[in-house]
Amino acid sequence: MFVTSLKKLGLLKFTNSFQLSILSILIISIALIFLASISLGSFNFSLKEIFNSSSSSLDRIVLLEIRIPRVLLSAFVGASLGLSGASLQGLFRNPLADPGLIGVSAGAALGASLIIVLGSGYLPDFIFGTLILPISAIIGASLVISLLYIFTQGFGYQGITYMLLVGIAVNAFASVGIGILTYISTDSELRGLTFWTMGSFGGASWQLILPALLIIIVTMFWMIPSSRKLDLLQLGEPEAYRLGVDVRKLKFKVIISSAITVGISVSLSGMIGFVGLVVPHLVRLLGGVNHSYLLPGSAFLGACLMMTADLLSRVLIQPAELPVGLITSAIGAPFFLWLIFRIRKT
Amino acid sequence: MSIEIKNLSWEVGNKSIIENISLTINRGEIITILGPNGAGKSSFLRLISGDLKGSKGEIFFDKSNLDEISIQDRSFMRSVMSQSQEIVYDFSVKEIIEMGWIERGISTYSEDFEEAVDRISLDCSVNDLLEQSFNTLSGGEKRRVHFARTLIQLWRPSGSDDPRYMFLDEPTANLDILHEQKMMKLIEKKRDEGIGILLILHDLNLAAKYSDKIAIFKNGHLVSIGTPKEVLTEETLTDVYDVSMKIDENPFRINYY
Repeated sequence: MFVTSLKKLGLLKFTNSFQLSILSILIISIALIFLASISLGSFNFSLKEIFNSSSSSLDRIVLLEIRIPRVLLSAFVGASLGLSGASLQGLFRNPLADPGLIGVSAGAALGASLIIVLGSGYLPDFIFGTLILPISAIIGASLVISLLYIFTQGFGYQGITYMLLVGIAVNAFASVGIGILTYISTDSELRGLTFWTMGSFGGASWQLILPALLIIIVTMFWMIPSSRKLDLLQLGEPEAYRLGVDVRKLKFKVIISSAITVGISVSLSGMIGFVGLVVPHLVRLLGGVNHSYLLPGSAFLGACLMMTADLLSRVLIQPAELPVGLITSAIGAPFFLWLIFRIRKT
Repeated sequence: MSIEIKNLSWEVGNKSIIENISLTINRGEIITILGPNGAGKSSFLRLISGDLKGSKGEIFFDKSNLDEISIQDRSFMRSVMSQSQEIVYDFSVKEIIEMGWIERGISTYSEDFEEAVDRISLDCSVNDLLEQSFNTLSGGEKRRVHFARTLIQLWRPSGSDDPRYMFLDEPTANLDILHEQKMMKLIEKKRDEGIGILLILHDLNLAAKYSDKIAIFKNGHLVSIGTPKEVLTEETLTDVYDVSMKIDENPFRINYY
């Protein structure tokens, strides 16, 4: 009923019923994995006890102040990376595109590293408090976006190649910057930096994640309605334009929304590789390539996979914790190779 | 109701690609552009599609200046088929055809969607290919699918009198004789429905058979324009193509050596 009325409004015209069932299964999986993730870990709870309010206050504090924000953050970071990977792969018409590729993650990483290594010495804590790291990462990501904008003359008509080349240059520059920072850092800073570049959701607190989640949600709702335009773009830029798509506006939208979500994600959880690349491919393999299915599907599957990866990072070597970026890269890198192999064959 | 192109010129650097061309595309008429490689045919099509902006001159779609028509409104008025690019992801044929469907926010249109897709797929003989993956098709089949998409873009409920134009850059390239004839007949049918059609063709005899008007381009200039019999003369063709041409009058046929 609900689906038919949405179809009549033209919202789901291009999503078939098989794809709708996959999306529904993904939503149910998100709920189940969420419940599993908040109850499992180095500190196990019985959710039933907590709901019956027969649990200790320590249990509640761990659940409400540590576990839930952490799991929520991992879900949203996964969704951001999946969604921006899918939209960038659509925009660049390249199955190997990923937020890391155009240098946005590197820009965010350089911004954050600067604060980790230099910030502690020069900036007193009271200036921004705990928000200084995310703000600095977002500034880094935004600087990269501005560079991209300048070099491609406003994400212009023929700008895609330039954008990828600028991305390569930015990535190289950022790794030099991070390299220098690593070299001059003290032992404790080095430790912070190293863990951060491997990715972790360990630092999540409500104060940090609430504004982030809000911005991510708004950006997603801004991006997902462009799915039809991304489909048309697959015919080529001139064809999309002839079908009524303002290609320049679409580029602007995809790049800006990716910068915002990826910038925030990187700042809060460090470098988490391959999710943006792998998730859209899995979603395509499951049910098809049209973006009205692919964009929400990638956000949902990204959330599922990231919560699972974070759960694994917490339970694999208890009571210690593996950096979650190691887990995603360990799974993602072989998948990437397989993908290149498959592309070469076809 | 027509597209009027007035004194259109386009220069890249110091090189003049299109020079001072004036032309009218009337609704319910097939006008074909002929000319050797590098004559400016495809550039002309890109200029009037609005992909590129000319250096001089003006283009009017039913009295409105093309520059003042929004990208979306342009897509309601004209569809364009040109040499298409490779499609990276694995879309089905049906999905590619449906990409021509432009949402107009009117529910009566939406209700006709499935029917329009079926009808046009049948017309373009791609109805058996709908569920296949687009990338597995042959060159000619891909061409027919893109043609179906171009037709879907201009689809209207019967009785609609919206202005509509179609620009086709070598639509019959890669087609076998059967499908070439089918496509040309379909183009004629669309003309009779009141669509103004601009064609770029290489086959002189095909152009002579199906065009109402022919425009001949050389080095960015409009050399000659008129009915096929007026324009396709031995002198003009020999001069434009640099190949000796001989014309049989009955039946009308152009031979070259």
